[in-house]
Amino acid sequence: MESSVVAEQLVKTFVVTSGWGRGRTRREVVAVDGISLDIPAGQAVAFIGPNGAGKSTTIKMLTGILHPTSGSARVLGYTPWRERRELVRHIGAVFGQRSQLWYHLPPRDTFELLARIYELDRPTYLRRRDMLIERFGIGPFLTTPVRKLSLGQRMRAEVAASLLHGPKVLFLDEPTIGLDVVARQELRDLISSWNRDEGMTVFLTSHDAGDVERVARRAIVINHGRVVFDDKVSALRREYLAAKILSVKFQAPVAPIELPGVTTLKATEYALKLEVDTRVTPIERVMSAVLRAGPVADIAIEDPPLEEVIAHIYSRGAPQAPEEVTTP
Amino acid sequence: MLKPALRYLKLAAAYTRLNLRAQLEYRAAFVSQVAAMFLNDAVWVVFWVLFFTRFPVLRGWTVEDVITVWALAAAGFGLANAIWGNAMPLPGLIAQGQLDVWMLYPREVLSHLLLGRMSVTSWGDALFGYVVYIAFVRPDAAHLALFVALTLSVALLFIGFSVLSGSLSFFLGHGGDLADQWRNAMIAFSTYPAVLFDGAVKVLLYTLIPAGFVTYVPIVALQRLSLADAALALAGSVAVLAVGVAVFYLGLRRYESGNLTEMRG
Amino acid sequence: MIATRKYAWLGLTSARSNLAYLAEVAARTLFLGVILFIFLQLWRATYAESGAERLGGLTLPQMLWYLAITEAIILSAPRVSHEVDQEVRTGALAVQLVRPLSYPLARLGMTLGERLVRFALNAGVGALVALVLVGPVPIAPQGLAMFAAALLGAFVLDFLALFLVGLGAFWMEDTSGLALIYSRLTMILGGMLLPLELFPEAVQPLLRALPFAGIVYGPARLFVRPDAAFLADLLVRQGVAVAVFALAVAAVYRAGIGRIHANGG
Repeated sequence: MESSVVAEQLVKTFVVTSGWGRGRTRREVVAVDGISLDIPAGQAVAFIGPNGAGKSTTIKMLTGILHPTSGSARVLGYTPWRERRELVRHIGAVFGQRSQLWYHLPPRDTFELLARIYELDRPTYLRRRDMLIERFGIGPFLTTPVRKLSLGQRMRAEVAASLLHGPKVLFLDEPTIGLDVVARQELRDLISSWNRDEGMTVFLTSHDAGDVERVARRAIVINHGRVVFDDKVSALRREYLAAKILSVKFQAPVAPIELPGVTTLKATEYALKLEVDTRVTPIERVMSAVLRAGPVADIAIEDPPLEEVIAHIYSRGAPQAPEEVTTP
Repeated sequence: MLKPALRYLKLAAAYTRLNLRAQLEYRAAFVSQVAAMFLNDAVWVVFWVLFFTRFPVLRGWTVEDVITVWALAAAGFGLANAIWGNAMPLPGLIAQGQLDVWMLYPREVLSHLLLGRMSVTSWGDALFGYVVYIAFVRPDAAHLALFVALTLSVALLFIGFSVLSGSLSFFLGHGGDLADQWRNAMIAFSTYPAVLFDGAVKVLLYTLIPAGFVTYVPIVALQRLSLADAALALAGSVAVLAVGVAVFYLGLRRYESGNLTEMRG
Repeated sequence: MIATRKYAWLGLTSARSNLAYLAEVAARTLFLGVILFIFLQLWRATYAESGAERLGGLTLPQMLWYLAITEAIILSAPRVSHEVDQEVRTGALAVQLVRPLSYPLARLGMTLGERLVRFALNAGVGALVALVLVGPVPIAPQGLAMFAAALLGAFVLDFLALFLVGLGAFWMEDTSGLALIYSRLTMILGGMLLPLELFPEAVQPLLRALPFAGIVYGPARLFVRPDAAFLADLLVRQGVAVAVFALAVAAVYRAGIGRIHANGG
């Protein structure tokens, strides 16, 4: 499968000066310390990391806004910082904090302007626009000024706008920030289905675990300018915490279960919620213990929530050997 | 050669239409802002009329000439900032990293981003300039045509100067108060006839503070109905614009290597 | 009287907070430097062409100092009308009624403090520039005292007018248009750019009678040509205007407060 985004040992060093005259200090800050990526076309990738980890800097280099200090990259075959004018025809960007939509005008007007900016020929533009309006459910508020829209409606229109020119790679930066639960889910589904149906590569930055789980298949975690994890999202959970959450409901009251590596998260008369460190005690042993403890009405084994996993990775901080998995 | 110019004009038209539509959502505010600027400019014309009532000639120039200076400056400035309204706020855009969004479009960064905003009060200046010229000077068709052409030249000059002074932000942090005062000086000198100044200052008016291409050359062109002088005025505007564009792209390269005083990321 | 001490303290506090704007000095110097330089060139040419030593009773140095003072007066104008407008709209005005201080007097105290500091800054810079450009004009302690008296009257008068404009918020959607008209009338009819003596003969008596002249022309003229008779005349005119405006403010204020009480705030 062809790669849509490839980066090879990208490094970006900033020189930060402060003070004036004799008191002037010069500091070299390494924002990105050798990041390598290989993202096949059509993959949905979550790019995760704490603030200051080097996420925005990396994205700026991949979109051609910033020149790297060293290293190389090719996005859709273009070297971003050298061939930006050509590259940007084929990529789209949605920044949660900054809007492309004109605030006082309806989304339709912004769409028209974008058609003009990208010089799309009229029939293609209209066809695409109508499809996006339908898929994203924008019809009802197409002619309402953006300032009167809810945040959820705005973001849907925002994402639709970014897709008008048919980009092959879409960069999303915190797209669901500030959205309510329903709107968030809607947006995730739209992006996800677009990714699947159109084969468009999605490069998502988010602090929201739900975004990562629902939209992305692959997660790249960076910290201190380096990749600390690069694998499937499911592996993210399994690999890093080696923990399972075991929830069980009994038909009769039972005694508490004591095993090494098992923490009782919640215990009522008839139910137990256990966290199992499977490195200490394999899950089968815990399950047998549970089944022996009393008549089981219901049992479930889950992976721990992603927030916890990510928090765990951040706190660990130290760079691990990146595992490169190229299947979506 | 012509094709890119046409493409750009279409883009400019689209932006102007959209900007106007957005501003007209608040019709009352739009009208009052335009009226306010008109009134503001009128104060100066009243001053000059009063002045020339008492002192009929100023170094060979009459009240018509001086009012023409005002009309030209106002119309050119108004045109420049009504359509290319992001020229004056350029320092802020650079300092706050707002160039990024413009860099992600398949268009020339500078000429595109300039169109992104419209200054409402500038319509007041533009309206004032044309109205005052027609009402006060009562030109014939030839003079009016030349005047309109010269306002385009002056508009280019103001855009170029704004870009030039604004692009200093790439190199000096927020451009500093110094750049602001430089701009103020340009605007101030653009509304007084160049004949008032001699020697070193006169040289200044065609170099560092190129107001001479507003307050002298075009006026002479109109007095003599001379296309040669008009061409000279245009040449000056184009020169300033060229320098401004060059400085901007030089600065943009600096921006792209991330060597601004602030690090974002 | 305890009340005056209270208001004086308010004035001093306000003055101190404005001294924090010392960073403006450099910018202001450049700004006034350019403007006064242009004025100098204008008037130098005018004096030369008319061949007179005095125009409007002033020599060239006196003319420039006059303009420096009028600029300082205009530039030091505080945003009273806008602030009062906002306080009326947000209902903060109603809150003030609960406090033992009489609202307009408290405002006056604050405004005077603020304005005196800003005037000192602008006049100081203007004086420096004028000194460099044309040298000093004779200043005697007596003259300064006269000037100070005239200036105080001018500031009180201007305050009352701006306060009145701000109170328009009780009835108008937006008072900024009114404020703008007032400020521009002050500039042109108050003699900011041209001493009254140089206006057409016919309108001079009318202009002298208007309050604008009392705010700008009066004090500035007194500074460059101290004259007891002129001062007496000016103080009377200012006094009459102050009385008229004070009555108007009281009436409008009461009517406005009545409105608040009637509508429950």
